[in-house]
Amino acid sequence: MGCQVRLPNLRAQGSQVRYAARMARAVDELTALLGDDRVRDHPLDQHLFAKDAGLRRGGAPIVVFPESSDEVAAVVKIARAHRMPIVARGAGTGLAGGAVPQQGSLLVVLTRMNRIFEIDEVGRTAWVGPGVVNLDLSEAIADRGLHFAPDPSSQSACTIGGNVATNAGGPHCLAEGSTVAHILGVELVTADGSTVVLGGAAPDTPGYDLRGVIVGSEGTLGIVTKVLVRLTENHLDAATLLMAFDAIEDAARTVSDVIGAGLVPAALEMMDNPMCVAVENFVHAGYPTDAAAVLLADVLGHPAGTAASIDLLNDIAIANGATSVRVATDESERALLWKGRKSAFGAIAQAAPDYYLNDTVVPRTRIVEVIAKTYEIAERHDISLMNVFHAGDGNLHPLVSFDASEPGMTERVVAAAREMVTVAVAAGGTLSGEHGIGFEKRELMSSVFSAEDLDAQARLREAFDPGGVLNPEKILPDGARCFDWGTG
Amino acid sequence: MTTLAAATKRLLSRLHDPTVAVDAEFIVAPTSMEEAAEILGAATAVGQAVAFYGAGTHRQIGNPVDADLVITTTAMNRIIDYQPDDLTVAVEAGVTLGELEAALTDRNLTAVLPETEPNATVGGVVAAGRSGYRRLRYGPTRDRILQATAATGYGKVVTGGSPVVKASTGYGMPRLLTGSFGTLGLIGPVLLKLWSQPRALATVVVDDAEVARNVAYRPLAVLGTGGNARVYLGGTMEEVDAQVEAIGGRSSDGLDWPEPHDPPLRLSFRIPARFVDEAVVAARDLDATDWVAQYGVGIVEAGYDRITSDGFSAARAWAESVGGTLVVEASPNDLRRKLGAWGSPPDSVELQREVKDRFDPAGICNPGILPGGI
Repeated sequence: MGCQVRLPNLRAQGSQVRYAARMARAVDELTALLGDDRVRDHPLDQHLFAKDAGLRRGGAPIVVFPESSDEVAAVVKIARAHRMPIVARGAGTGLAGGAVPQQGSLLVVLTRMNRIFEIDEVGRTAWVGPGVVNLDLSEAIADRGLHFAPDPSSQSACTIGGNVATNAGGPHCLAEGSTVAHILGVELVTADGSTVVLGGAAPDTPGYDLRGVIVGSEGTLGIVTKVLVRLTENHLDAATLLMAFDAIEDAARTVSDVIGAGLVPAALEMMDNPMCVAVENFVHAGYPTDAAAVLLADVLGHPAGTAASIDLLNDIAIANGATSVRVATDESERALLWKGRKSAFGAIAQAAPDYYLNDTVVPRTRIVEVIAKTYEIAERHDISLMNVFHAGDGNLHPLVSFDASEPGMTERVVAAAREMVTVAVAAGGTLSGEHGIGFEKRELMSSVFSAEDLDAQARLREAFDPGGVLNPEKILPDGARCFDWGTG
Repeated sequence: MTTLAAATKRLLSRLHDPTVAVDAEFIVAPTSMEEAAEILGAATAVGQAVAFYGAGTHRQIGNPVDADLVITTTAMNRIIDYQPDDLTVAVEAGVTLGELEAALTDRNLTAVLPETEPNATVGGVVAAGRSGYRRLRYGPTRDRILQATAATGYGKVVTGGSPVVKASTGYGMPRLLTGSFGTLGLIGPVLLKLWSQPRALATVVVDDAEVARNVAYRPLAVLGTGGNARVYLGGTMEEVDAQVEAIGGRSSDGLDWPEPHDPPLRLSFRIPARFVDEAVVAARDLDATDWVAQYGVGIVEAGYDRITSDGFSAARAWAESVGGTLVVEASPNDLRRKLGAWGSPPDSVELQREVKDRFDPAGICNPGILPGGI
């Protein structure tokens, strides 16, 4: 316990010269493998790929774009030979810094591994490359009556590999489960550059469920080079309800009552007034701008069954003081309402140039009190807060829009965000529902796990990556276990 | 060292004393995970193999284990925290599925655990990674284990996962533990995600399971048995009625699961779902006395009175050739040793060994029960 990660000492001049020479050799070897255009070390590339969609910036001297599993394996071996940490990245839509390269890392961008290899319609599975864009996959199989269920708000940009790394969610994970429930197998390039397949199309592979362990491991256990996804049959009937409330507590209580009634809609999202106003200005979907909060619910199912669910949702909303309930069954009207929800993060650009999106989960019985405290915190720090979140599974997303060029602003925002996490944890919740821990929350891990719990997680990581070369400084705080950084 | 740990250590050391003719199993029933961890720590210190026991439902799965100490979970059998409004329940390992489901009926909820194993314990089901027939609709058990605690081989109590229904917070320790057969330590309290029972339930007898699966909308299960094929439906009254009409065939209210058998030998074909019909043929060719095929899932479990080793080998080779396995799920120990409980070890066996070594450094927890002798 308490040991320090050893980082290369770049201050000493002699060391700097040797480091530059080593990087140059690495570039040469990588170029021999991948060609000029797939190895980048220009300052512009270094700058572009130094961050994800979050606030933090890192730095990768070399960025590579492999196109096959074999190339990834060879890249890993070259990185190891030059003692470079390895960070894998998809589209970079992550918000927790999971794909932000630590200084000196080799950044492996997987977006070119975007082939759909094979689709099994009977078994409802497909092998796909990690670089396939989430929405592209669902669109490619739409004519077969199937889709890929996880639907993060970034689904038109984010990749399946990134979804695997963060165990991504999305509105429709409420009924369908997060990404882990939709990944049956992965091909993994391990820290030593060998390739192994975990899981598969057959259920219950004997031995440890390492497939399940890989999902959500944020690129720290290996690089996923192929993914076997489970495909979900499309629903026969769909309706979207937009319920408006005069008080956010009424909306939150509606969520608790819906879940308490045992009704799990396909999605159940909440947006507060500032968010509704921003979205309405942006997409003109008919969101009420005078409501304190709205709930957006998707009821999907068999035509003979959806009516009963709609009625029950309507009744619970009315009983909790809903001022209006709009039911959209027309596909274009539904699409417009959902466009409003999924454009939320684009819409807030009107308010301020930067945003910080938090991600915590609380038990669904505690939503009301935690949301109230979140507003108090924002008020105390004098920051502008909006809420748009996956209410049905208690996954809160307090969203702060701000101007980072304002002195001290970013620090204030981050401090407020930390308090919001603390409040969620105190209510029996946890640090992240779908964004992951990345760099952002690693130091908060000890607020939800004991030292022994963290040590166990570190043991698991060490089994995959004894040298600690894969995405170091992510997920686990320093000192969770003694890693021998950069050896081997 | 506490009294319990000292006593355990003393008993274990006697097993190694050649002058003391101890030829007995010690069975200990810790009342807490902390006690279990102390026992495991002591066993690790002397390198003594330990096996775990719930109700013994799955005791014939896996390579036979030689252990002189058995830890049973019978003294850890409380439902710790039932939160019907959040659709979760936390239970200790020794709670039986029957007890758990009975406790959930007040709000018409279910933990969707194996339907025909009411006497099995939750800990045993998690350790063996068992799922019920309704996994076609709700997914396997492992997808509903939100948080899990274990007493590790190195003698510490650790908890992984998160206390909420959705999380991406740290490594998936519950997923690692599920199906680990106690090889990393004793699996203790788990937090389970619950589902509401559909208001209407029906079982429809059909001619062709695969055809019916494609007509049915999100059935709970589609099973083929020696006798017939059945589609299991759940939903609102109107939805179930409409589906029964669309599917055709004879229907009855409720879920009429196949009668569980207790054959001397039971095999489980685990194959990609599109090969279920072929697996049924393979199971029958070996002269199965009964079988249950899970369409859309890819499991065919078949019972046998006897089997030829040639026929078995051919069936296993076929299962492995299509990317699956043929697992011996019940048999006398000597037969399981002869046939091999699991077949060829998975691609990742070396990686699995690395994991095992870090959670059970002395190799005392159910040693050898998993593929590759892990």
